Amino acid sequence: MIQLFNVSKEYGRFRHALTEVNCTIERGEFVFLTGPSGAGKSTFLKLLFREEPPTSGQILVNGRNIGVLPSSQVPYFRRTVGVVFQDFKLIARKTVFENIAFVQNVLGLPRAEQKRRAYQVLKRVGLHHQMNAFPDELSGGEQQRVAIARAIVNEPTLLLADEPTGNLDPALSEEIMRLFAEINIRGTTVLVATHDYGLIRRMGKRVLTLERGRLREVGLAPEPAAVVREAPFLPLG
Amino acid sequence: MTIKPRYLFSEAWSIARSGARQTAVAIFLTALALYVPGLLALLAKNVGRLAAQPQESAAVVVTADPGADLSALARRLAEDARIARVRVVPSEAALEHFRRAYPELGAALAELREAPFPPTLEVVLKPESPPGAAAEIARNAAALEGVETAESEEEFGRKFRDAVRMLRGAGLFLGALLTIAAVLSVASTIRLALDLHREEIEIMRLMGATEGAIRAPFWLHAAAVGLAGGLVALGLLYGTYEAVSHYLAREPHPVLSLFWVGFLSLPAALLLPAVGTAAGFAGSLLSLGGRSRR
Repeated sequence: MIQLFNVSKEYGRFRHALTEVNCTIERGEFVFLTGPSGAGKSTFLKLLFREEPPTSGQILVNGRNIGVLPSSQVPYFRRTVGVVFQDFKLIARKTVFENIAFVQNVLGLPRAEQKRRAYQVLKRVGLHHQMNAFPDELSGGEQQRVAIARAIVNEPTLLLADEPTGNLDPALSEEIMRLFAEINIRGTTVLVATHDYGLIRRMGKRVLTLERGRLREVGLAPEPAAVVREAPFLPLG
Repeated sequence: MTIKPRYLFSEAWSIARSGARQTAVAIFLTALALYVPGLLALLAKNVGRLAAQPQESAAVVVTADPGADLSALARRLAEDARIARVRVVPSEAALEHFRRAYPELGAALAELREAPFPPTLEVVLKPESPPGAAAEIARNAAALEGVETAESEEEFGRKFRDAVRMLRGAGLFLGALLTIAAVLSVASTIRLALDLHREEIEIMRLMGATEGAIRAPFWLHAAAVGLAGGLVALGLLYGTYEAVSHYLAREPHPVLSLFWVGFLSLPAALLLPAVGTAAGFAGSLLSLGGRSRR
């Protein structure tokens, strides 16, 4: 699914964001990417999303070497990946529905179909009653759930989340993680960058740790989180 | 991927609404920039109408002695191979022409017992006649019996046509200059819109929008601003034409009334919105050339 071979990323000559990173993430895995601030977590995700090209090395996503992807192909690649940002990145002048249906709107999908899909994903995140609200009218947790809905509306095979709970309180963070777990159960590969170690321990998923741009540790979190398996946040389907 | 019209128009409208004041200012400036050359084109067209038919305007005006045989004189003059036509203008016809040109003097002229204008012959030359022919014909005519004076109008006609040509040139130059101003005005509007939507563009790009999908609404917005500016300029120009026409109908002017007779032809009129649209599009290309990129 995702393979990194000797991937390095440098900003200028002296700032090494990532150094010789090698790793593999299998299809359908749920993986945490952790490490202190400045360790290179965001850069790691940016490379996977092709927001930045690597300085050296190869990155394969679904068998495609995205490091050498022509810039004209990048938008089409991005549509196959869902991304959730820490600051949500919702367009303030668009409603929740318009934010979610943006790509489908560009693609010219019929309005009814756009609405149907948006309603479905909003229902999954428990916000189907807020279709016509503007982001500013929602709480932080609700905005993050809209961002998640937008990320999964195109049914991506890979979901990336960069500190998705960074701005949320612990209860909301749990909710968001349950949501990711539910999305993962449906077959989507999920990679979550966070430095919330408590959350990582409770989820009991595989962990990649970055330290000063180097991938130091690959392992499982010690304590599995029963809550995710026993009490899903929302009904599936 | 083709960009869907619904998306294109809704985004362009949204851009226009988000910077309504800048959009209005850009339309106004574009209209102003196109109105001035439009007005010059209107003047040049009307003045040019007089100069456009040199074969019909008299190259030599021969004033006959009172009582001279005008027809015989006309026949005599027409013998010259360089002459296309000789028009006979009797005293009464000259008076009538004067009355039409100077209606405010009509009352004074009505009291005259006899016609104040001598009979004249207007000599129209063939188009292929060489320069200086009019002066030579005038000299020859002056020597004829029954001729009081004979004057060449060639020099005046040439100067008149030069003046019209200059007016057209000035219109074109000013038009080009002001069109550049319109392009820059739209370009700055688009630049402001880009700054206003910078974050949004970044998000759109992250969501998988192509450069075309990001830029096309800005292109459409700019072209629409130019089109609106061109239409406003056309409206203002027509308003000016109608206002002047109404004024001249009420208060005839001896010079203006002669040439202020028609509006721009349809293709010339449509050139204003077309140039406006092109200027808007050029402005957007100027702003978007690499500016929407990271």
